[in-house]
Amino acid sequence: MSAANSATRGLTQRTLLLLWSALAMLLACGQAGAQTAALDLAHFLPATSRAQATSPADSPAAGFANARVAVNPAAAGATPVGERMCIACHQLESDHFTHTFHALGLHAASKTDASIPVCETCHGAGSLHAQDPTSQGLIIGFTKTSGTPIAVQTATCLACHEGGPRDHWSGSVHQRNQLSCSDCHNPMAKFSGEGLLARSSINDTCAQCHKDVLVQFHRRSHMPLPEGQMSCVDCHNPHGSTTSPLLKTNTVNETCYQCHAEKRGPFLFEHAPVRENCLNCHTPHGSNQHALLVTPLPFLCQQCHSSTRHPNDLQTPQSLISGAHPDERLIGRACITCHANIHGSNAPSGPRFHE
Amino acid sequence: MKNSMLAAAFSLVGLGLLACPWARADSDTFMDLRSIPALQGDPAAGKAGSATCAACHMQNGISVVGLFPNLAGQHAEYLYWRMRTIQQEARADSPMTALLADLDDAELRNFSAWYASLPPADHSDSANGAAAHASEGARIWNEGDATRGIPPCQGCHGRNAEGHPLAAKAIRWRLVPVLRGQHADFVIQRLKAYRDGSHTLTSSARMMNGAAANLDDASIEALAQWIESGDSM
Amino acid sequence: MHRQSGHRVLLAPLGGLLLLAGNIAHADSGIGVDMWRGNVLDPRGGADSRPLDPRGTSWLSPRQRRSPSGNLYLCPAASPEQTKLGEWLFSGSLDIGFVGVSGDEDNALWNRYADWEDGFILGLLQLEFLRPRDGSYASLRASRISDDDAYFDAMFGRAGSYKVHAFLRELPNALSDSVRSIWNGVGSNHLTLVDPLQAGASTSGQVGAASRAAIERQISVNRSKQGLGFSIYLDPRWSAHADVSNEQRKGARPFGGAMFFNFPFPDNGGILETLRPVDDATVNLNTGLRYAGSKWRLDFAYSGSFYRDRYTRFDYEMPYALSPVIPGAVSAPLQRGQFATEPDNDYHNIKAAITRKLGNAGEFSLTASLGRMSQDDSLIAPIDCQGVFGIGLGGSLQLGPQNPFLFDCSQWNSNAALPRTRADMRIDTSLVDGRIVLHPLESLSVRAGLRFNREDYRGSWLAFNPLNGAYGYVSENGAQGSVVPGEVGFWYPGAGASNLTRIRNLPLDLQTTEATLGADWRISEGNSIGADLVVNRFEPGNREREQVDFRRISLNWTNRALDWLTLRAKLSHLRQSGDRYNYDPYEFTFSSSLPGFVEPEGGVPAHTVDALRKFDLASRDEDKFSLIATIALGDDMTLGASLNGMRNDYDASLGRQSYDTHGGTVQWDWQPNPRFMASAYFGRDFSTLELANVNDQALDPDPSLGGPTYPLDAVWSDRDRQRNAYAGASFKASLKRVAWDGNWTWVNARGSNNYAFASPSALAYFSDGSSVPGNAFPDTRYRVNAISMGLRVPLGERLSLRVFDTWARGRFEDWHYAGMDETRVIEHRVYTDGGPRGYRNNLLGMLLQVRL
Repeated sequence: MSAANSATRGLTQRTLLLLWSALAMLLACGQAGAQTAALDLAHFLPATSRAQATSPADSPAAGFANARVAVNPAAAGATPVGERMCIACHQLESDHFTHTFHALGLHAASKTDASIPVCETCHGAGSLHAQDPTSQGLIIGFTKTSGTPIAVQTATCLACHEGGPRDHWSGSVHQRNQLSCSDCHNPMAKFSGEGLLARSSINDTCAQCHKDVLVQFHRRSHMPLPEGQMSCVDCHNPHGSTTSPLLKTNTVNETCYQCHAEKRGPFLFEHAPVRENCLNCHTPHGSNQHALLVTPLPFLCQQCHSSTRHPNDLQTPQSLISGAHPDERLIGRACITCHANIHGSNAPSGPRFHE
Repeated sequence: MKNSMLAAAFSLVGLGLLACPWARADSDTFMDLRSIPALQGDPAAGKAGSATCAACHMQNGISVVGLFPNLAGQHAEYLYWRMRTIQQEARADSPMTALLADLDDAELRNFSAWYASLPPADHSDSANGAAAHASEGARIWNEGDATRGIPPCQGCHGRNAEGHPLAAKAIRWRLVPVLRGQHADFVIQRLKAYRDGSHTLTSSARMMNGAAANLDDASIEALAQWIESGDSM
Repeated sequence: MHRQSGHRVLLAPLGGLLLLAGNIAHADSGIGVDMWRGNVLDPRGGADSRPLDPRGTSWLSPRQRRSPSGNLYLCPAASPEQTKLGEWLFSGSLDIGFVGVSGDEDNALWNRYADWEDGFILGLLQLEFLRPRDGSYASLRASRISDDDAYFDAMFGRAGSYKVHAFLRELPNALSDSVRSIWNGVGSNHLTLVDPLQAGASTSGQVGAASRAAIERQISVNRSKQGLGFSIYLDPRWSAHADVSNEQRKGARPFGGAMFFNFPFPDNGGILETLRPVDDATVNLNTGLRYAGSKWRLDFAYSGSFYRDRYTRFDYEMPYALSPVIPGAVSAPLQRGQFATEPDNDYHNIKAAITRKLGNAGEFSLTASLGRMSQDDSLIAPIDCQGVFGIGLGGSLQLGPQNPFLFDCSQWNSNAALPRTRADMRIDTSLVDGRIVLHPLESLSVRAGLRFNREDYRGSWLAFNPLNGAYGYVSENGAQGSVVPGEVGFWYPGAGASNLTRIRNLPLDLQTTEATLGADWRISEGNSIGADLVVNRFEPGNREREQVDFRRISLNWTNRALDWLTLRAKLSHLRQSGDRYNYDPYEFTFSSSLPGFVEPEGGVPAHTVDALRKFDLASRDEDKFSLIATIALGDDMTLGASLNGMRNDYDASLGRQSYDTHGGTVQWDWQPNPRFMASAYFGRDFSTLELANVNDQALDPDPSLGGPTYPLDAVWSDRDRQRNAYAGASFKASLKRVAWDGNWTWVNARGSNNYAFASPSALAYFSDGSSVPGNAFPDTRYRVNAISMGLRVPLGERLSLRVFDTWARGRFEDWHYAGMDETRVIEHRVYTDGGPRGYRNNLLGMLLQVRL
């Protein structure tokens, strides 16, 4: 198995060399590019009603320099108190927060400009809470007993994180089910390698509610999620998407083709259910059949095929190798032993996927 | 063969470790008081044995010397854990160390229950009014000082320094002492100790380390005066 | 043959493109794959490598808080020990050590996505550099279990400004450990028979002996991926991103080979389970520009994907000789079969999305996308043979009018036999999606959406051979026509004028139009209900129905009113219907549509039975429900439960008739203090799929169920039931400075297949009707029991030792492979893959963890 890898490794080395040199060049350009900040593009924008709050592109933590105190409708008269007062009571929370990505950016920005809030960027102005911390809602909290409505919680995060993957959050299934950003994310400490999640990995985060889907990955055939090589978010966008199952591409098939591009074709001779939807034959989260099939061969094919000659006969265990009359239509790969190019064939002699 | 021997050795080590209690916090350094149980003590027994205490803290728990704190009406849990901390710290320079050294747990509980049952000092004639309210101490108490990072003490100690508003609901809030009318000298000594990092043994002390971190001597003085005045907002 | 340099050439202009783009983005939750890097040793990628902070989360409260849905947050890890290096803060750790596996080391189920090799492993290398002054950072994470199972992940950037991300990932995938191959050249595109087998001249006994003599081995397909990406804020509102990845797959997998039937023709045909090579590369490119302002949001994106296969075809030697059904005749000596591999293809997609915020937190968004999937790979010849193919009457293999069923290979074995030499196939896609969300009241939200998606299939193929004027193709590598006269696969005037065969490709246009309408009413902060209506019209081209509609109504309810319970429930009902079902829309693709076609005696046999409904287009009713509950048990325990069910009833007397699933899980999670946490789960799920079909009894044009071709007494049905149980538990404890963890995983899956038939005419073998006991296949079983324990002992300030052991047992039974341990060769059938096997393994490992 390892013997055949030298060609791959050689290719890997060459690709790496190319990529790393591109990276080195890009880094040089990237730094220059950031400084010349293409603000000219702003002229092509539709007019906005927010004052253009730009900051010099080379200031520390450029994006974080736009941090503003969050708006808390339940604490209308509150004034900002600054990070030091928050830390006075919440030292341990601050200790953990300091090692997160938000802290890196907010601290760098607030060192340059003391008016840039840190804690209050997400939690809102803290004066009323500091005076009466047992009243719920005077500070924007993201936990179950915080007293802050879910809509305020999500609006606070979206004040910076709107757009991009979260473009379709409003109206998405997670939003409609009253989920808050803090159901899946916890930026107060680094629990996961990336993504500031509430659990140590993407899969564990989704499993808080969707354990019934995660357990399916323990079936006989499955994609490598439990092995840590893949995550739910490779196929799904939990923040909302234009498709009903929250796919990251336009259709089911395009999602699958990202890793299984060989199935894209189009082939000279198509197999209609394949072109239409991979899920006609496969179940993506795990299956007791081989190759994530919905039901065993030959019955999978016999759901649709009843042409004369050989596909529609009912086989019994006597057609197995151990039976009285072994029959190739049942043994091993069954139908696809002969119809092997079942996803479509590019051979002129392949209308029946024999070639 | 080698693998299974290693596996056996490893499981023996594991089982041995399993025998050790794992959930108890280390008792010779840090005391985590965030999940304390409610205090059970006998006030009558506490009263019976409190003659020594009364020498400084008075029979009614309201002392006359500034450095000896009032104990009357203080939360029982606060008193108990404060005494446990003193025993643990065993500081040579504290007069309480020798006095508490020989007391056992039951006695500590009884004393705490006894002093908690005593009525606190009467503040009806305290300096309520514009002057008191406008003092620096009152300002820090009510609003803190954002420019220096000083939180408003009222957040935990209550609007009128009567203790945490949720003390009746959750036991851990009874570790926040009632401060109304407490002697200024004592308060100053304690605040400086928290600020300077000489009291770090308990989780409550860690809280106060942070809360007092940005206080300067003048603010401590002002706060202590306001607390002693027994002013209410 | 396409050289692999194709994609390397592609990378050069891509590199240039990246230089122009200037900034790089990594795959994010909105676009691209490669979201996670981990391995079997540590699926969480190092997140659990630091001990928990014994101080907890806050001095103000003893336990963790709960998320708004009621799940406990985790105890945070202890802060990393950081070293100052000038302006930078550095922290890092290195885990290196050894593992040893004993037991069924080569087992494919055990090695499914891991490649354990006894010896040295790099458990984890983590480095992190931070510069607080301006928020710059750089981090690296790597792990290596073996050459084929490793990853490397690095990123650097500046917080709020830009980020560059690169990774390498080797992912193994063992497919089988029980392969016995009678061919040499596995992994290449040319399979030759092992000695002493001769192509076209070996007997079943010789082939069986060669199969038994073959050494059983493991085959796998390994993926090797490199990725580079970046993202940057051009200004506070505009950001750009791009990422490129290159993935190579290499290995072999069980496949097939068709040299005609064996079951009706004793000592004939060839059913050959060959091993096909996998040697390809895919380059994926995602890039885009985003704008997020206070009123507008824009998103422009381009996605490209380029698949290049090393081989265009692969061929294999056929061991057996064929013999025709005509007495006294002889079959042509066919020696090889072939397959076309997947064609090199290109994919381009551009997308533009614009969103405008409306008053009261409303939003309107419009997305438009255009794409193209195309391939123009070179086509292989219709047959791979030399000399002649077909049947030689009277024992003569001389071409001529006396041998009407014998054909000249030279007229079919090159691409001169094709109307064109390249495929030239393309699908153009277009998508428009508009949606609007409004809040007429603060507690009421109303949403509507309209979506139109079209795939235009552009590519037509008429199989015409310019060398001899025939239409069609050569069936099964020439074998079919070498056994049965008139079944060679192509139509030609004269003797072949009645041959029924495929002559055209099937263009599959797809068009979907969907409208949605929904409303959500937040009755109170703790209770909200919602309803949705989806109306969808699916219009496929050249399928049994021109128009398939479904309507789905769903109701959902979220209850968070009780402080210890969060409940989310959903109920939906779908009804699918369509226009008239035409059981045979494919006539235009067959030779019967040719002007010179002569109807055979007895007529053209029915294409299929008219009562069968293909389930993707069938009328059906679907009901679904799902319930997710999170229950807080005290301050430190959570119970999660979910329940779901689906019932699908198809309006079909033949074909899939129903598909029902239901299941539930319970999970428990306990975190009393930072020194101990435990969790456990249990789940069960069930599915039942029922289908019916009918065995044909005559080659008759009558397609009706109940007619001579498909009589009612030949109807049969099958029920496939899956019953699965899953359980697991894990704990983590720390005693002073020693940390102990354990994990248990258990799976018990059972599949059973029961059938029923109206009479033995339904069976493949009539005699089974009276002699086969019971009406079921043996159950398929898959059971795994795995337990891991680990211990971490500190050896010093910076050093600790982790010892871990995993014991796993897997048991597997699948009737498809019954009997393969005894023999893989039965008459003219050759099976290579003996199927997955159970295993009993123990993995012992020791890692030295160094804090850098």
